[in-house]
Formats: sequence, C-alpha cells, structure tokens
Amino acid sequence: MANQTKTEKFIIPIGPQHPALKEPGHFEFTVDGEIVTGATARLGYVHRGIEKGCEERNYIQDLYLLERICGICSHVHATAYALGVEKLANVTVTPRAQAIRQVVAELERIHSHMLWLGVAAHEAGFETLFMYSWRDRETVMDLLEGLTGNRVHYSANVLGGVKCDITPEQRDAILRGLDYLDERMQYYMNVVTSDETFLGRTRGVGVLTYEQAETLGSVGPTARASGVTRDIRLESPYLVYSEFPVKVILDDGCDLLARFVVRIKELFESSRVIRLIVDNLPAGELTVRMPRRIPENEAVSRVEAPRGELFYYLKSNGTDMPERIKVRTPSICNWSSVVVTAIGHKLADIPMILAGIDPCFSCSDRSVQICSASGGVSKIWTWEQLRQYGIEYYR
Amino acid sequence: MNLSISPLLALLIFPGGLFILFVGLAYEWVDRKLIAQLQNRIGPRWFQPLADIVKILAKEEITPDGVSPALFNALPVAALAAVLTAALYVPMAGMQPSFSFRGDLIVTLYLLSMITICIGLAGVNTIDRFSVLGATRTLTQLFSYEAPFLLALLGPAIVAGSWQISDISAYARGHWGLILLTQPISFIVALIGLMGKLELPPFDAPEAETEIVSGAMTEYSGRGLALFHVARDAELLIGLTLIATFFLGGIANPIEFLLKTLGLLLVMAILQALFARLRIDQTVGMWWRFGSILALVQILVLVILKSIGVL
Repeated sequence: MANQTKTEKFIIPIGPQHPALKEPGHFEFTVDGEIVTGATARLGYVHRGIEKGCEERNYIQDLYLLERICGICSHVHATAYALGVEKLANVTVTPRAQAIRQVVAELERIHSHMLWLGVAAHEAGFETLFMYSWRDRETVMDLLEGLTGNRVHYSANVLGGVKCDITPEQRDAILRGLDYLDERMQYYMNVVTSDETFLGRTRGVGVLTYEQAETLGSVGPTARASGVTRDIRLESPYLVYSEFPVKVILDDGCDLLARFVVRIKELFESSRVIRLIVDNLPAGELTVRMPRRIPENEAVSRVEAPRGELFYYLKSNGTDMPERIKVRTPSICNWSSVVVTAIGHKLADIPMILAGIDPCFSCSDRSVQICSASGGVSKIWTWEQLRQYGIEYYR
Repeated sequence: MNLSISPLLALLIFPGGLFILFVGLAYEWVDRKLIAQLQNRIGPRWFQPLADIVKILAKEEITPDGVSPALFNALPVAALAAVLTAALYVPMAGMQPSFSFRGDLIVTLYLLSMITICIGLAGVNTIDRFSVLGATRTLTQLFSYEAPFLLALLGPAIVAGSWQISDISAYARGHWGLILLTQPISFIVALIGLMGKLELPPFDAPEAETEIVSGAMTEYSGRGLALFHVARDAELLIGLTLIATFFLGGIANPIEFLLKTLGLLLVMAILQALFARLRIDQTVGMWWRFGSILALVQILVLVILKSIGVL
C-alpha cells in the first residue's frame, strides 16, 4: 500500500533502445529530481537460443556456435568449451597449443578492456578518450588478425588444440605491438587518474563495498576493484597459467575510478604475460586427435573472461552431440551490483555505473523458461519448436 | 567599413538573414572538423551541416501527443527569429551594425537568451520524460552561466562608458591591448559562458545523449529541429562576433572578422575536446563558485581602476 500512495513516481526508462546502450536491455530508474531512488533491470531482448541450438549440433559445430555468444570475448567461450570437451574425452592438449590459447586469450583481454575504456569514456561524455582508445585498440585487433586471420571471431581453437601457430615473425609483430600499447596504456593511466573533469565523474561514484561485492557474487574486475580476490586464472589455473602466472590486480577504492585503474593495470599484466609466453613458447604439435563421439559423462569448465568468471557445464551422452550445455557468463553475476549501487546517485552517473561492470547483454540472455503465469506446467521444447516460436512471435 | 544597407536587405540577406544562416553552418563545420582532427578522426565534409539541415527540413514533422501544437510549432520559429534579430545589432563581418541604439547590448544579450528559453519551453511542452529532464537541465544551466556571461560582457561596456555595441566596438578598436590586459578574466568567462550558452561539451549535460537522448529536443523532428539547429549555429556566430568585438580589439574588416572569430573557435574546439562532460550539479557549482565570483571581482577591479582614472 505504501507504494500505491506514491503515485508521483517519475520513472526514467533506459532501453530497450537508448543511445547509452549498445545492446538492448531495459532499466527503469525511479528518480526524485536528478537523484535515483530505485532501479530495476530487465533482460532477455537478445535471447538467441544458443544453448538449445548446441544440443542439436555436433561438438565441432558447437565450438563455432558458442564462440558467437559474445562478439568481444569470443575466444574465452571457445576455450571454456574446448577445455570442457577435452576433459570429457580425456584428451590432453599439447603445452604449445595451450600456450597459444593463452596468448590469444590475453590479447583478447587487452582488446576487450580497451574497448571498455572507450565505451566508458563515451558514457562520461569524454569523446576524445573514446576515440583515442579505440584507435589504439586497432593495434591489438591487427595482432589478433595476423595471428588467427579474423578480427572478431578468431576461431583460434579447434577441439584438441589450436589451428594457428605463432611464427617468429608473428612473435616480433606481437612484441612490437605490445611496446606501443604499453606506452599508450601508461598514457591512459595518467589521463584516468589525473584529469580533473574525468575524476569528478568517477571518484566516489558507484561505490560497491567489499561486503556488497561478496554478497552479490560479483566477479572479475568489478569484484577486484572492491578488493575481492577473485580470479580463476589463479584460483584454478587452466591452460598454462600455472607456468606463466598472472598477478592479481586489486584495488580497494571500490568506486568507478578503481574499476578503471584495475582494468588498465590488468592491461599491463596481460602484456607482461604475453611477452613471457611468446619468448618461451613450448615446442610440440598444435593438435591432438579427438574422438567424434564423446563418452557419457559430465564436466565443468571455468575460465576467466575479461569480465570475470565464465562457467560452462557440459553433459555428454555418448553420441557426437552434447546432451546439455549450460553457460553462465560474468555479466549475469554483475547485474545485481548495478541495481544496488545506482540508488542514491545522480541520473547523470547511471550510464557510467552501468558501463562500469562492462556489461554484455547478449551474453546474459541465453536461458529461457516458458511457464504460464498461473504456475502451469513447464515444458521442454525442441530446437525446431523454439525456432518456430521465434518466427511466429516476430511475424 | 561604413556601408548603408537598406533595412529590407539587412533583414533578409545581410547580416540578418541568409548570410548568418550560411556562415553559421560554415562555422559549425569548422567546429566539427577541428574537434574531429583533435580527436584523431577525419570529420565531416565541408557541406555536411548544410546537407544535414536540408535533410531534416525534408523530413516529416511529427507533432507528438500531449503537446500544445501551436507552442510546439511556434517555439523554433521564435528561437530563430530572436537570434536573427540579435544579428542586426552586432558588427557582423566588420560592417557597422544595421541598427543601433543606446542600450542595444542588453537587448542583444536577451535576444541571445531567447533560444535557450525557447528550447527549455519546448522541452516542458512535451510529455516525454527525456524532454522534461533535458528542459530542467537547460533552464538550470541557463541560470548558472547567464549572470557571469552578462557580467563578463559588461566589463568592456563599463570601460567604454556606453551600452551601445558600436560605441564599445569603437573604443575596443583603439584600446584592445588595454582591454586584454585589464580584463583577462572577463574574456575567459565570456568565452566559456558562450560554450555554456551553446551547450557545447563539457557543458552538454542538457542534451547528454547517453543519459537523456537529445534532451529537450528529443521529440522534435523535421522543420522544428532544423530551425533550432540553425538558430544555434547563428548564435555561435553572433557570440563569437561579440566576444571578438569586445575583447580582441573590434572588427574593422571581413578578414579581421574571419581571423579573430576563427581563432576563438579554435580555442573553443580545443576546450571541447579536452574535457569530460560535467554533471549538471558540477556545472552549476563551477559557475556560481568560480565564474560569478571571478566576474564580480573583475567588475570591481574595473570600477576601481576607472574611478582612480587609469582607464
């Protein structure tokens, strides 16, 4: 009843279509003047039925389908899946292939964090930083293209290894590119920590305390900027992270500035690890043979995506198609932190806070549950039925 | 230069009508191009602002539900009319102002504020939430920069002992070194105040696209949007002319006009590229805490200097 007496609520809708959002999502912010008093998030506009689609394709096709969950961190999805399937099939991939996977993963982290830096600067109305960081991001995009042949969906992984090698020329190109990037990252670090107008938009804004980050289960740089030591690369090393470990970057600022600092410092860390690996690349084959049919079993695979922990659950049934694949992306863990931290802030800070977790909407929209409102029976649809439903819905 | 222009010509062609529209668009292009270059982009082609206007003019004009249609259609016209009228009182392109009377400085400044008020009204006229919020911010910002801007332009008027733009212009031509030396604060406050008036970055909170889409003008399309757009370009040109006239030693001929106003535009472009957008509370705080006080101190200094006979 208390809510109904307050009919004067002024709600600012952000999304599903809004210039601040690069992907569709819907947020309703209740405002009192410029101050946000309530926030709700609604997702699900870009559900593509990928998990269901995986059940009707074989393991090799799934690799390419899953890579398309995210256009920014495509490699980690493929890596998490490949690691899971290799675990199911009891196949050990050669150290060289593991190392190359890690190089691509860390290059991808650099590309993802620089992309985020630009987007966050854009949300703050700092167009110059946006343009500069995206220009420099081209360097790492070129490196990835030179390595794998693709700029976005690298497809560096195959089941049982990788498809591309790092030649001495490519190694030199990577080192040259990283030299340039290191210099630029130092510049961005200076800008982010010393530009007064930018600091005015980040310092003390969107504070997510250590306790909140723990309770809400935040992951990745969002959690690390609140001082929570959570990094899969250290907690359960995969690939060659045990031979070439990364240092965890922590910051106890808890605010947006801390999230900027953590991500930029991670760029340096990624760059350091890549240099180490390409200089000490283990010898060996790129691929090992994989069986077509995977014996019945289940496996869990966790990797650290640029946005945080990426979790894959795989269940095989003895055929060449998986029984079930469940993906939990880092963005979904971080959404609740936005709704909590937004309250009490000015409306102008909201796009920054939203961007602060580096959200990926299409990453989040995969699970679907069809239930009738009266609590009716939940039903399991086949891929074909789901597809037909989509066609009918949008007709 | 002292050419007499027939009133009708002054209204329609120069300096009131077509001239200011086209030169305003050209200045918008210069501004966009400069910022693009500073941001390592290529920037628009030279005819892009004109092409934009032609395109928006050709679009269907949608009158949204819940507005007063008369007001909705009249506000853009009023905004443009006010700005074009203001153009008649400034020494555009080094010519004598077409019309001049004692106190026209105040009239010109109020005419220049008309556009902001029209945009604010246009925002609250609609029921769109982004528009209302944008209008609130536009009007809040108006109250923050207007006083310092006025005080800053008052400096040269006090020194010249006249409220008439042509008198101040004549005085400034003879004493430009003195003006710059004794009132640098007024100059800076006026230049930044103009950026606030035009809602240029970093003062673009009223139309911050990542927060409130297009602010007060969200619901406008077609002719209304085009008229507001042209009015703002004209305001840019008039504002630059005023500042160049008052602080950079007047404008004697078209070449001087080009050099001085484009020089100011370059400074403005650099400032626009340099900063992140200020929140509306930061904008208001900045203007009232620093802008107004500095402008007042400047006026005080000028009054003292004048009373002891230095100026």
